[in-house]
Amino acid sequence: MKRYGNFTAVDGVTLRVREGEFFGFLGPNGAGKTTTINAIVGLARKSAGKIAIFGYDNERQWREARRFVGLSPQEFNFDRYLSLRDVLIFAAGYYGIRGKEVVERADMLLERFGLTSHAHLEYTKISGGQKRRLSLARALIHEPRLLILDEPTAGVDVELRLELWRWLRELNQEGLTIFLTTHYLEEAERLCRRIAIIRGGRIVTEKPTEELVAEGESLQDVFLELMRH
Amino acid sequence: MINQVIWPPIITTLLYVLVFGLALGSRIPTVQGVTYAQFLIPGLIVLQVIDASYGECSSSLFQGRFMNSIQELLIAPMSAAEMVGGFILGSLARALLIAGLITALGVLLVHSVPRDWALYLTVIALVSVLFSSLGLIFGLVAEKFDHIAILTTFVITPLTFVGGVFTSAKMLPQTLRNMELFNPIFYAIDAFRRSYTGESDLAPWFSLSMIALLSAIALGIALRMTAVGYKLRT
Repeated sequence: MKRYGNFTAVDGVTLRVREGEFFGFLGPNGAGKTTTINAIVGLARKSAGKIAIFGYDNERQWREARRFVGLSPQEFNFDRYLSLRDVLIFAAGYYGIRGKEVVERADMLLERFGLTSHAHLEYTKISGGQKRRLSLARALIHEPRLLILDEPTAGVDVELRLELWRWLRELNQEGLTIFLTTHYLEEAERLCRRIAIIRGGRIVTEKPTEELVAEGESLQDVFLELMRH
Repeated sequence: MINQVIWPPIITTLLYVLVFGLALGSRIPTVQGVTYAQFLIPGLIVLQVIDASYGECSSSLFQGRFMNSIQELLIAPMSAAEMVGGFILGSLARALLIAGLITALGVLLVHSVPRDWALYLTVIALVSVLFSSLGLIFGLVAEKFDHIAILTTFVITPLTFVGGVFTSAKMLPQTLRNMELFNPIFYAIDAFRRSYTGESDLAPWFSLSMIALLSAIALGIALRMTAVGYKLRT
């Protein structure tokens, strides 16, 4: 549970994401998706309840728990004076990664996400799509076991969206657990193995994607139906 | 970086030395056994160390909050002490760099050389920790960039100017001399000047103890605010 004064943003959210799963977390604006994510990563303090990440309590064993999590937030939050390569090198430092390994990982991720030729540019000089890829690369710099993506394809063109989907599928196939929030229901339907829908700070359903889609003509139908009640 | 960090303190110091130290100072007899221009150098170093330490921490932290880049640190497996330590060490590095450059200027322009390097470094470290911690506190409290300047404009600058940069306490009337004892910057400048001239208005151990005490209090508050996530975590 998370309260802000008298306002309850999230209440009674019980979720269990299995290791290696591609999990979708859907809901309308203001439903509590980002609040839930912030509580998982430690940006918001829970008012009540418990969150465990691979068995580690995210408040009592925060150091262990945080090592396992990579976050690509909804809003870009890079240091505007750093180059793309330095964004990754600094982020690696925050996780205690040092020496040659830092540069190797940064260069590998820049290459994987097609950013090598822009490595020395400041982040303000690249496009929105490139920033989105950089955000993903930064979230992966410390090799997390859980990747949390808060609307990773918001505002990107179709071509990049398809490319991001391909990368996310690859990462999931490599064993990475992915927790995705998105407003694009087609995206959730294509990528996620299981989906939870939140409304007004409460989970209204949580099922395997196939089962959920089978309840209507499409995920969009089911989603809209759940929002009506 | 050079335009923001290096040139402003160098140019300001040059102006003070040229206008106050060499032009006006030629009409003032020796102070604490040195020329007025030589007397000015230690005070000017402390002035810039304070400015660099406070500015580095307050603007870095506030900018991080403003652009949300601070979230990178908050989700990383780092304790409040590690975060605060990182900010303070960054400020200390900047303060030492600035102090080194002004010291070199002092050697070149007025042949002013520190005699007691241990005291020189101890005072810079303590002053830097004190004002970096204050920078962190104000970087957390501030809602707008203007708020950060409040401490500089209304507290730090006036206290620095009356804290002994330009005068020895012995040159002041008794009432002002008594008031200096409530000015933390006076202790810093007095102890630091001793590393140059070998003389001070107060015993150096007393001044160092006062700065250390204030640094510990400010550091404790900054650590506590960071640990509870004041204006950092919702």
